[in-house]
Amino acid sequence: MTGEIAELQESARRVLDGAGLAADEAKTWPQIVELGWLLVAVPEELGGLGLGLTAASALYTEIGRGLAAIPYLPAMLSIDAVCHSGLADREIWVERLAGGENYVATPLAAALLSAEKGGVTGTLSAVPSADKASHVLLMAADQVALLPLAQSGVKVTARQTWDKTRRLFDIRLEAVAIDEELVLARGEAAAALVRRLSTHRDFALAADAVGGASALLERTVEYLQTRRQFARPLALFQAIKHRCADLKTIIAAAEALLVDSLGRIEDPGDEAAALMAKQAKSLACSTYFHVTEEGIQLHGGIGVTAEHPCHLFLKRAMLDAQLGAPGDSYARDIAAAILG
Amino acid sequence: MQPDPKSEALRAEVRAWLAANVPKGWRQAMTSVEQESFVEAQRAWFSKLVKAGYATPHWPEGWPGGGRSLAEQKVIYEEVARADAPRLILFFVALYHAACTLTEWGTPAQKDKYLPAILKGEIWCQGFSEPNAGSDLASLRTRAELKGDRYVVNGQKIWSTMAQYADRCLLLTRTGGSQPPQAGITYLLLDMKTKGITVRPITQITGDDEFSEVFFDDVEIPAEERVGKEGEGWAVAQSTLASERGLTLVELSQRMRYALPMIGAEMRAQGRAEDAALRHALGELGAKVNAVCALADRYLLKRIAGEEAPGDASIVKLYYAQVLREFTKLGLRVGGLSAQYYKGFMRGATQETGNWPVDFMNSYNWSIAGGSNEVQRNIIAERMLQMPREPKTWQLPGN
Repeated sequence: MTGEIAELQESARRVLDGAGLAADEAKTWPQIVELGWLLVAVPEELGGLGLGLTAASALYTEIGRGLAAIPYLPAMLSIDAVCHSGLADREIWVERLAGGENYVATPLAAALLSAEKGGVTGTLSAVPSADKASHVLLMAADQVALLPLAQSGVKVTARQTWDKTRRLFDIRLEAVAIDEELVLARGEAAAALVRRLSTHRDFALAADAVGGASALLERTVEYLQTRRQFARPLALFQAIKHRCADLKTIIAAAEALLVDSLGRIEDPGDEAAALMAKQAKSLACSTYFHVTEEGIQLHGGIGVTAEHPCHLFLKRAMLDAQLGAPGDSYARDIAAAILG
Repeated sequence: MQPDPKSEALRAEVRAWLAANVPKGWRQAMTSVEQESFVEAQRAWFSKLVKAGYATPHWPEGWPGGGRSLAEQKVIYEEVARADAPRLILFFVALYHAACTLTEWGTPAQKDKYLPAILKGEIWCQGFSEPNAGSDLASLRTRAELKGDRYVVNGQKIWSTMAQYADRCLLLTRTGGSQPPQAGITYLLLDMKTKGITVRPITQITGDDEFSEVFFDDVEIPAEERVGKEGEGWAVAQSTLASERGLTLVELSQRMRYALPMIGAEMRAQGRAEDAALRHALGELGAKVNAVCALADRYLLKRIAGEEAPGDASIVKLYYAQVLREFTKLGLRVGGLSAQYYKGFMRGATQETGNWPVDFMNSYNWSIAGGSNEVQRNIIAERMLQMPREPKTWQLPGN
């Protein structure tokens, strides 16, 4: 299985290298769907590859490396939700979603929702590529459901972000009724499903961060090897080398925590997995941000120009740190687990 | 990574043995005591471990307890950490550095003489570093001259752990020239009772004296105590330095993880369990401590698979040293003023004792000894990131 995942990761890197850094969504998304990337974590009995979060994480890492502008994570989350739901025609849904026929968007941030007048009111925020979606995944503590976007009471608004490799939307809901047939889980099952999806999301963001940080450090070191000042490459200065070594070290640590945690998951829906995902997410995203901060500094003037890709990494890193649960809640939750 | 059944059977066995045999209350018993009591306790713990076969899993097949795979050795270390057993500090050089060097390079006569003696409790120290040869070990200058059938040694070593209690010493000497510095180094085995040796313990900033300076004044060593050929000492020393193979940091990183609740307990003791800033710092530290464990673990698995890359070991050590520093600093912060009142330290304990100033001061052991953080950064930058080495020649301004 490890060999299979390594092969998958290598081929993903070839595809994304071919597409180029921060490649356009319209160009890469059909190709990725065609290649079956949406099937990696789908259980075999539902027609998927059954390779789980470890394989998905390998792809998230490559997408992070290439800053790919594709809604892979939100699509994977909604597919994961359907796979682990009590939906009547689950197989058909999985086939449609994994085949790219439908895209169900998933919010990547916490939402404040209230149930009133027999419907749901509130705002789903940080929903990637919602303009291409037929539905959005509604995650509340007591129920998880697919919500069609083409109905009254639903308003989709594009939000400009600094990160140009994601297109985020707000979805405003005004007393939108939930179609009973599209409910994925209720009550305790819904809470468990939400936890499962949060864990999946956190590991995915960690992988994106590890991939992006590694790619930027490689680019930075390469630049330092070629850029000459004082008649020598900048890479010769110990003050510079040591900073690169520190960046390499913290990336290695974040990656080790991610890979090790993925290997220890017994049930992606349990509390232990959730805690591991929180640790991996918070460490990887703070590492990514630090690497991009240093990456620009180490590049010098060229690093603050729009033509150089450094800023693309910085902006994605800043956003990664804020997606998922609110930034500071991760450390708080980890501390609560230690304090018991 | 699937655990193999053989290692897991060993795990159950070791766990049960440790539960029955770890000296109860050893931490308290080792607090504010003279070094002699510590040495005595170490000897007792050592002979128990040897008898059980858990002190020598890395020794070759045929020796008591020997012939264990690296995966099995890892299990033993993990269980030792889990049981919070005392570390075998006094015997580490004998069991690892001396034994592995002799196994690889020793003559049959040397192995017959020394390996059984190590099992009986001979203490060894390492005579590598010198006042002017620290990070730059190869520039060492302690001189050995072959006169007839003996080497005559003059010079000085420093940072020899527990040399004041050692029976024998692994000694690096210069017998030839210094171009290049790695050539001309010869590896000798020294009986610490030989005439002409002066051992002077160094009092550290904690008040402990784990290290000593060792002075050599016409110290005679029989030529048959040489390991490898004359001038081959640098290569032999590499075996010595590589002997612990990442196991120590698997153990120590896990000990740090088990010690995390100690900071939580301190927060409660100080009435600051709800302090948001401290909780945030603890959460960030918690993720890093788990990352050190993952890093050390994965490094060892890479070694087992034969996939180690240059610089891998440096990353583990550098990160461990940094996280340990952060851990002890958070302890200081949580401990507040009350941690600033003097308390006697714990001997032979791990890095995390809850005596925060001592723990903090001891964290330098990891950022300086065994290749300082700065040396590790050079290794990572040059061997892993392929950044160029600095030119060897230099000039002071005005010269």
